Amino acid sequence: MPEVRSLWNLLAILLAATLLWVGPFAVADRSFSGSAVLITPTTVLGNTNEQIPDVTFLFNFSLTISILILSTAIIPQLPNKTRPWTYGALGGLILLGYAGATWAFYQEVWTINQAALAAGTDPRRLPLSGYSLSLGAYAGVAYGLLCLFRAQLATATGYASLGRVRPLLVPVAALGLAILVGALLVQLTLPATEAKGIAALATRLDQLTYVFQLLFGPLYRLEGIMQSLQLATPLIFTGLAVALAFKAGLFNIGAAGQLTVGAIAAMLVGVYLPGPRFLVLPLAILAAAAGGALWGAIPGWLKARFGAHEVINTIMLNYIAASLLLFLLSSNSYQIFGNNVALPFKAPGPDARSYEVRPEAQVPSLLNMLGISGTGPGELSLAWPLAILAGLTTYWLLSKRVLAQRIGAGIGAGILGLVIGALLPGIPVEISGTVSSVRINGALLLALAALVFYHFLLFKSYFGYEYRVLGQNPQAARYAGIPISRRTIEVMALAGAFAGLAAVHYVLGAGIDEPRLKVSLPTQVGFDGIAVALLGQNSPWGIGLAALLFGVLLAGGLQLDLRLGLSRELVTALQAMIVLFVAAGGFLPRFLGSGGEK
Amino acid sequence: MNEIWLAFLASGLRQSVPLLLAALGGMFSERGGIVNVALEGILLFGALAGAVTVERLENGLGWHSFLVPWLGVLAAMVVGGAIALLHGWICIRYRADQIVSGIAINMLAIGISALALSSLYATTASSPPVEQRLPTWAGFSPLLYLAFLLVPLSWYVLFRTPFGLRLRAVGEAPHAAASAGANVNRVRYSGVLISGILGGLGGAFLSIGILNQFVAGMSAGRGFIALAAMILGNWHPGRILGAALLFGFTDAAAIFLQSEGVLPGSLIQALPFLLTMLVLAGLVGRVRPPAASGKIEEE
Repeated sequence: MPEVRSLWNLLAILLAATLLWVGPFAVADRSFSGSAVLITPTTVLGNTNEQIPDVTFLFNFSLTISILILSTAIIPQLPNKTRPWTYGALGGLILLGYAGATWAFYQEVWTINQAALAAGTDPRRLPLSGYSLSLGAYAGVAYGLLCLFRAQLATATGYASLGRVRPLLVPVAALGLAILVGALLVQLTLPATEAKGIAALATRLDQLTYVFQLLFGPLYRLEGIMQSLQLATPLIFTGLAVALAFKAGLFNIGAAGQLTVGAIAAMLVGVYLPGPRFLVLPLAILAAAAGGALWGAIPGWLKARFGAHEVINTIMLNYIAASLLLFLLSSNSYQIFGNNVALPFKAPGPDARSYEVRPEAQVPSLLNMLGISGTGPGELSLAWPLAILAGLTTYWLLSKRVLAQRIGAGIGAGILGLVIGALLPGIPVEISGTVSSVRINGALLLALAALVFYHFLLFKSYFGYEYRVLGQNPQAARYAGIPISRRTIEVMALAGAFAGLAAVHYVLGAGIDEPRLKVSLPTQVGFDGIAVALLGQNSPWGIGLAALLFGVLLAGGLQLDLRLGLSRELVTALQAMIVLFVAAGGFLPRFLGSGGEK
Repeated sequence: MNEIWLAFLASGLRQSVPLLLAALGGMFSERGGIVNVALEGILLFGALAGAVTVERLENGLGWHSFLVPWLGVLAAMVVGGAIALLHGWICIRYRADQIVSGIAINMLAIGISALALSSLYATTASSPPVEQRLPTWAGFSPLLYLAFLLVPLSWYVLFRTPFGLRLRAVGEAPHAAASAGANVNRVRYSGVLISGILGGLGGAFLSIGILNQFVAGMSAGRGFIALAAMILGNWHPGRILGAALLFGFTDAAAIFLQSEGVLPGSLIQALPFLLTMLVLAGLVGRVRPPAASGKIEEE
């Protein structure tokens, strides 16, 4: 359908050219609450007493870029042979132009701030703060990238080369569409501005951009990244819980309940089992996995034995687990048929929470594992980084060997690295209060290990092969003599174990605030796991990245509340839309979509 | 003692209403072959639409103000229907997994209701209380009577009208229904639409029937419980009534029996879920879902 495609083409050109002129190119200065000094190619909007960066070049720059963008309109009319390189050349020119303009803008900003510093201003009160590029620049860069993409498509093998990145296309497109629809939603909820005409439009576009800059903001700060990883840790576990079941053709909506029962088990062992650390901590972790596995195995067994649909049963078990948690922690004395029954689990006080996990069973914070405690100057121990590096390198180097040898040697090298790293002197670092307050803990390493285990289980093991056959074609599985009932129960139990391990983060690792089990356990992550598994397309890399993305968004969402008074539930809405768009993968144009497979 | 029993009875009936409405809705959807896990979100959307409509209109309609709560109910039905159509569109047009789509819509409801609250009322907890909630007729909300009236009506529509016959045919054997001349997709959309309208009604009952405001997350799992009631009721209006009453009265009994020292409320609340699992496994009674529910095949 060439007519339709040229219509989209025209729309993209118009959109990019319009945003270039009305969307602010950059923000010179932004206050905490979001009001900003905007720089557009024609004017500077907003009130400030500060010096404005000199951006007189911007008008001519925008004019040039506009001409470049408009001239791409004629490319589809060119002969086939010239199209790839004209697209490539124009796209490259646009991107180069933006690189230059960005550099010039930041140069101007720094000049002003450096002058102020030299004049003795407090480094925390610089005249220009919160400066960044904005939508106008983003639109131009996006159009430049689109040109490069079209250059690739216009080559003889262009469409065929899409095949290699096809697994990426649906998630990336879904993410982009969710951001677009999310922007429309935000647009509806933002308060009206007083400005009129073009200025109002620019302000509104800047507000929209700022919302998403805040959402992705954690990526630019160390403590933001750490916070994102902390929030991503449980999502990796629940994402794996959903994905493993998906791969075997089962739908596990019960990660919330499995997490709850895992948390109860981890609490029981962590609080009540005395003993040395090397014994109690692994046992507590195992208990978390076993609790989740039990809660996952039940619907698996019901499905295998009675054919009862796992979706309804996992939902029911979520509620039963929630009831159980409430029963154990909301009170210590109940009347049952008139008799007093006493329970020991609830800690004294108004909150419904357990006693604190014994120190021996607590998962250390990641900073402690790196040899850092508290704020101020410290030494970054090389033990764990070296262990992981040595283990992975050994594993990759032995690529010719048998899998078991590679894993064994990898673990051996890892232990060696741990010992050597502990003996080496650490790197001196300065730890700020914001960094040390992030509650990221050893559960993250466990989550990464779980991702690796998932990869080996599914793609390198005999069981994983049978799980996948079961998922792709149950009939073939039956003919091949795969014990379907056993495998169904196994998969659900393993999925439950993954979900249960998320309790290591919450209960043993004090992932929220304290190393206790609380009634307020955020079981919502069980459902977020569905979004993670779908966006990650059930692949180990995908799950890790999707969990990280949601971690970033969740961490950024905290800033939305703080700065704009906008509900952080925007992130939930975005997650929902990502799930919808991934699920309805058929929205993509034919040539990009599911293509060969049906 | 008598008064306590009356209060218990009234509370049980009230708790049953949203479950009954949503479960009947789920039945219409699934009888046509579309599993509607989105009911939880539809309840929430309906509750939000009802409360916000009433709050926005109640001081602006002058002498028409007695209409305001009914406009809220209407808005809830429209929004519920629209959300259900979205679910149907994603499932039918794009053949998305029906459970995934439903879960996504539930998440969307949480996100959008919080965004709406934060932009309209600068809070994420609840909407301001309204004066013009639904009236009570003889101590109960009109929606309660409507819900119980809908049981025989649904039975009639499902088993005694051409539409009901087509709906059941489409859910059991879509190919046969198509050969017999039924427009499979249109029938499915109708079923989903009815489920959304009923779910929206249930939501309105929560926000302007029982309460007088929208509270974040006020559906509190009732959409899922309604699904359980629908299964327990074997996709049949009469039995769904029984199941909804069972769940509703369990809720009321949980408070009552805990205060009487018989059983802790948290454990009582788990019992209906346990029962649903046992029934689904065929250990107690037997249920059978529509044969083609959950699958959309290439035509």
